[in-house]
Amino acid sequence: MTGPVPASAIGPATDVAAGTRFNVCAFTGRRLDEVALRLVRWNAVTSIVALLIGAIAAVLIVLTRWQAVHLLPAIWFYRILGVHGMSMLIFFIIFFEMAVLHFASTALLNARNVAPKISWIAYGLMLLGALMVEYLMWAGKADVLFTSYVPLRAHPLYYLGIILFAVGALIVTGVFFANLRMAKRERTYEGSMPLVVYGAMTAAIIAVITLVHGAMIYIPTFLWSLGLMEVDPQVYRMIWWALGHSSQQINVAAMVAIWYMLGALTVGAVVLNEKISRSAFVLYILFISMASAHHLLVDPGMGSAWKVVNTSYFMYMAVLASLLHGFTVPAGMELGMRLRGYTNGMFDWLRRAPWGDPGFSSLVLSVVVFGFIGGITGVTIGTEQINIIVHNTLRSPGHFHATVVSGTAMAFMGATYYLIPLVFRKKVALWGLAKLQPYIFAGGMVIFTISMTFAGTFGVPRRHWDISFSQAPFDVAFNPAVDIFLALVALGGITAATGAFIFIAIAVKSVFFGEPIGQVTPNTHMRGVPQGLTHPPKHSADVAERWEKMHGPESGFMGPAPGTLVLVFVFLAAFILYFFVNWKVLSFVWRIG
Amino acid sequence: MSDLRSDDSSSEPIPLAQRLFDNVWLLLALGLAVMFAIFTAWGLWEILTLPRAELP
Repeated sequence: MTGPVPASAIGPATDVAAGTRFNVCAFTGRRLDEVALRLVRWNAVTSIVALLIGAIAAVLIVLTRWQAVHLLPAIWFYRILGVHGMSMLIFFIIFFEMAVLHFASTALLNARNVAPKISWIAYGLMLLGALMVEYLMWAGKADVLFTSYVPLRAHPLYYLGIILFAVGALIVTGVFFANLRMAKRERTYEGSMPLVVYGAMTAAIIAVITLVHGAMIYIPTFLWSLGLMEVDPQVYRMIWWALGHSSQQINVAAMVAIWYMLGALTVGAVVLNEKISRSAFVLYILFISMASAHHLLVDPGMGSAWKVVNTSYFMYMAVLASLLHGFTVPAGMELGMRLRGYTNGMFDWLRRAPWGDPGFSSLVLSVVVFGFIGGITGVTIGTEQINIIVHNTLRSPGHFHATVVSGTAMAFMGATYYLIPLVFRKKVALWGLAKLQPYIFAGGMVIFTISMTFAGTFGVPRRHWDISFSQAPFDVAFNPAVDIFLALVALGGITAATGAFIFIAIAVKSVFFGEPIGQVTPNTHMRGVPQGLTHPPKHSADVAERWEKMHGPESGFMGPAPGTLVLVFVFLAAFILYFFVNWKVLSFVWRIG
Repeated sequence: MSDLRSDDSSSEPIPLAQRLFDNVWLLLALGLAVMFAIFTAWGLWEILTLPRAELP
C-alpha cells in the first residue's frame, strides 16, 4: 500500500468532499476511502467477537443435547440457546453485513462514504443494543429464546436493545443508498453498478423490509413489557417472523454477492449473463422475504390460501433465483478457468483450481453445502404438507445451519481472508492453519447438519433440554438410532466450532498482531496473502477467440460450461430423490383410504 | 468481474428493463409493497377476522 493521498490526486476534482482522504490499494489499484475502511474494520471485528460468543455457546448446547453428556442444567441450556441464536443469527451476521455494505458502496465503486458521522452513530447504536441484549440474556433477565414469543416476557431493556440495534442497522442501509446515489452523481463508475454491488444493494433492500417489520413488532412488544398495551401472540408470531426469517434472507443476498466477488478474485470468474444474474437478484427483492411464512405452516390461525401463496407460488420465484445463482456462479468460475487455459476434459478446471487458497475453498464449500443440504432441505420442508412431519423437530435447525452457517458464515470467512490484506493491510496469520480451516469447518458442519436432519426425521424435537423426559410421568421412546445421531451432532458441532475458533484466532492475530503487508511485488508469492491477490487471475491472450469458440457450435450440446452442467444435473437428481422420499415418509403417517 | 460480451457503444440507448433494474428506489418500493400486500396485510386480515372461539 502507498501512504494516504488526497482524493484529488487520484480522482476527478469534482468528486472530493473536504476532508475525505483516500488510499490506493496496491493489489487492485482502487481508491479506498479511509473513513469507510475504518467502519468496515470495526464492524468486522465486532462481528467476529459475536461469532466467538456464539461458538462457545454452540459447544455448550451440543454437549447438552448429546444425552450421554447432558452438560448444562435446564435453565442454563435455554439461556445459552438464546445467547447462541442472538449472537450468531443477529449480531455476528448483521455486523458483518454492515461491513459488506460499507465496503461495497465505497471501495467497489471508487466512491466515498457520504455520512461518516451518521455511520459512526449507527455503529454506536448497534453496539449499544447488542451489549444490552447480551448482558440481559447472560444475567438471566431475558430467558425467552431467540424468538421471544409473547407471552414470554423479558426485561423491557432487552426489547429496547434490539430496537436500538435495528435502528442502527436501518441507518447504515440509508447511508449505503446515499453512497450509491453520490457515486452515481460523481460518476465514479459508468453504466449499471457492478454485479457484486447489485447483490449488496439487494441485501440492503431486504434489510429495509426486515427492519421495518422488526420495528412493527418490537416497539409494541417493548410497550407490552412495560404493561402499556396488549400484543396478540398470533400477530406477534407472524410479524416477528418477517424479521426473524427475512433477516436470514439478507444473508442469502450478501452471500451470493460474495460468491461472485470471490469467484472473480480467486479464479477470474466471468459473469455468465448479467441479465440473468440481475433478474435473479430482483426476484429475491420481490419474493424471498415471504418465505417467513414457512414458520407458520402449522399455525391454526392462518388460512391455507395465505400459506400456500406465500410459501409456494410466489416464494418459488425466489427458489428459482437461488437455482439461477447456483448455476451462474460455478459456471462463471468454469468459464473463467477455461479462458485461462484450463480446457482439458470436463473437470480439469476444477481439479486445477487453487484449493489451497482459503478464499476459494470457502467459496466452493459454501456453494456446495448451501445448495445440496441447505437448499434441498429448505424447499422440501417448506412444503405445507411435508412441514407437518418436520415442524419443531431437529430437521429445522439441520436445514438452517446448512444455509446460515455452512453457506453464509463460510462465505463471510472466505471473504475475510481477502479483506485482511485488502482492508486491514496485514498478512493472514497462521497461514498453514488458514488453508485447512475451511475444510475443518465445513466438514464438521456437514456431519452436524446431516445428523441433525436424521435425528429430526425420527421425531427428535428442537429446543429441548432432555428428550429422555427423565422426570416426567410418561416417557417417550425414540428409536435407538437417535442416540448415535445426537452423538454425531455433538461430534460435528465440536469439529465445526474448532474450525470457527481457528478462524477467530487467525482473524484476531492477523488484525491486532499481524505482519503489515509492506511492499507488494506483483506475481511474487507472499506467505499470508491469498494467491488471488499476489497472482491476479488473467485470461489467456487469445481470450476473445476462446470466448467465441466456447459459444460456437464446436462446444456441442453441453455448451461452454459442460462440467457445471453435469454438476447441476447431479444436484437436481438429489433434489428430486429427497423430495420424493419425504412424500413417501409422509404417506406412512397420513394414510388415505 | 467482467462481462466479455459487453460492447463499447456507450451511445446506444439504455434498454427499459436495464433502467428499471438500475432504479434502486423503484426496487425498494416494489419489495416493500409486495411483502406488505401478500404477507403482512393479508396475514393481519386473516388473524383479525378470525371468529372468537367459544369455550365448550
